Amino acid sequence: MSLACQIEGKFPFFTTLGGGGLKGGLHTTGAKWFMIESQRHSYHLVDPSPWPISGSLGALATTVGGVMYMHSFQGGATLLSLGLIFILYTMLVWWRDVLRESTLEGHHTKAVQLGPRYGSILFIVSEVMFLFAFFWASSHSSLAPTVEIGGIWPPKGIGVLDPWEIPFLNTPILPSSGAAVTWAHHAILAKKEKRAVLALVATVSLALVSTGFQGMEYYQAPSNISDSIYGSTFFLATGFHGFHVIIGTLFLIICGIRQYLGHLTKEHHVGFEAAAWYWHFVDVVRLFPFVSIYWWGGI
Amino acid sequence: MEKEMILHSLSWRFLTIAPCDAAEPWQLGSQNAATPIMQGIIYLHHDIFFFLILILVFVSRILVRALWHFHEQTNPVPQRIVHGTTIEIIRTIFPSIIPMFIAIPSFALLYSMDEVVVDPAITIKAIGHQWYWTYEYSDYNSGDEESLTFDSYMIPEDDLELGQSRLLEVDNRVVVPAKTNLRMIVTPADVPHSWAVPSSGVKCDAVPGRSNNTSIFIQREGVYYGQCSEIRGTNHAFTPIVVEAVSLKDYGSRVFNQLILQTN
Amino acid sequence: MAEIELKTAPADFRFPTTNQTRHCFTRYIEYHKCVAAKGEETPDCHKFAKYYRSLCPGEWVEKWNEQRANGTFPGPL
Repeated sequence: MSLACQIEGKFPFFTTLGGGGLKGGLHTTGAKWFMIESQRHSYHLVDPSPWPISGSLGALATTVGGVMYMHSFQGGATLLSLGLIFILYTMLVWWRDVLRESTLEGHHTKAVQLGPRYGSILFIVSEVMFLFAFFWASSHSSLAPTVEIGGIWPPKGIGVLDPWEIPFLNTPILPSSGAAVTWAHHAILAKKEKRAVLALVATVSLALVSTGFQGMEYYQAPSNISDSIYGSTFFLATGFHGFHVIIGTLFLIICGIRQYLGHLTKEHHVGFEAAAWYWHFVDVVRLFPFVSIYWWGGI
Repeated sequence: MEKEMILHSLSWRFLTIAPCDAAEPWQLGSQNAATPIMQGIIYLHHDIFFFLILILVFVSRILVRALWHFHEQTNPVPQRIVHGTTIEIIRTIFPSIIPMFIAIPSFALLYSMDEVVVDPAITIKAIGHQWYWTYEYSDYNSGDEESLTFDSYMIPEDDLELGQSRLLEVDNRVVVPAKTNLRMIVTPADVPHSWAVPSSGVKCDAVPGRSNNTSIFIQREGVYYGQCSEIRGTNHAFTPIVVEAVSLKDYGSRVFNQLILQTN
Repeated sequence: MAEIELKTAPADFRFPTTNQTRHCFTRYIEYHKCVAAKGEETPDCHKFAKYYRSLCPGEWVEKWNEQRANGTFPGPL
């Protein structure tokens, strides 16, 4: 008995497709039906795409341009900007293609959805490690300050922000935004599309308020990133956290638009889930800089 | 004349009696211990070697027997045994006991190296430079500026006298008293270095911005040779260390004379 | 025969590790705090000066003295 027969025998046509791909795709047309019929497995074999090579070239241009720029070579800044534009453009069109493949062509069956799920989780784990390194650096420098900064923390002459002003105000905003995104999730699961859009608008608004406050805080900060190891670790940790907030906000805005357009359904909303996970990561992580850098490190 | 030369050659080949505590031609083991720490290192080496030989003999025997008895010609029908509780327990327990017997004396030695039990009598600072060592004796200062400080450069090959060791001899030796607790403070002024004297059992890294401390108790008078042990550039091999241990009385007069020389 | 006193900074339980950087720095701070409190002339502070001179590389002391003169010394004096 051939392998193909075995698979066919074990998995009749409809079970092979799984629920998600068919019921999830809103725009399944007659032509699609024909295409899916000829496929005897639940996996998505992607079409050839130019984006991997264009992304790689963008990364190459960015690294070479970055080194050239930092060593004051002629044309370094141009190459660096070109590389960054290339990468950003690749991200845009690649994700556009993924959305077309999943939402419009219905390729993302339940089995295919596992990939982006695991991918998102592993990505967030790597992000946790990334930020952990900055908190480690900050704690390393502040728990036993070296003699070069006089063995005291914060170092002499460094102005420190009062943790109970903007930092404290800003700390509950992100978890509130996290609560709003959970509200949006429940709305999606309850098939309340309009309410979900509303909840996402609330989430994004809170996120923008938080970023605005962070910007104000930086604007008013009495020290900068060049001010000793204090400034370096402070702005590296809080700045990268702020950068992650901005990434999460963009992710949520895209999800909001897709929710408004009716892309997200009760059964199939992996993109939204990934955004929500990422957002919870960002809002929980906010508590660490507040406690260890602003509060404890500022005493 | 010829006989003398042959004798000389033979003595260098077989009798390698070193004139002082330095590396010898064809040396295999450690140099003679000058401190209790080095003695401990040598004992630990012997301890571990006991187990090494035991393991070597045992494993070789098993290997040879296996190759011999399970050879295709001796044993044409392969055994089908895949499991044996007793042998599996034995071969797990025994190899985990041996590292324990090695670990206990090893940790004891390691921590005794770090420990400063008694207050030292003298502090000497060794400051690594590219490519020489500076030594500071500052216990007898009454101000920040005056200090018994000198640089210790390697003697170039062309300036060596008969009997002196190539790449090991320096112009100014570190003079220390024997049978006295010494505190060495090691730090560099430029890049990382490492202050090492094998017969003292000391190898102390010099890290920029940090001062490391190691204690030495030299048990006998003598001249001890070492080399910088952190590879860091062109002339890394030309930064030797020479410690001269003298009696406490001689140390006192030498330091006093030096101080008088410096202040006048 | 010349007589010199064999005496140096004692082992300090606050700094039991190989790294003695803070030992030296702390003694330097202690001396200057003592001088600030009791004045230059009292013999009480002498021992701290002896300690930090024994423990600190000359170059470090030189640098710190310069920083104190310029008002840029980072330590808690």
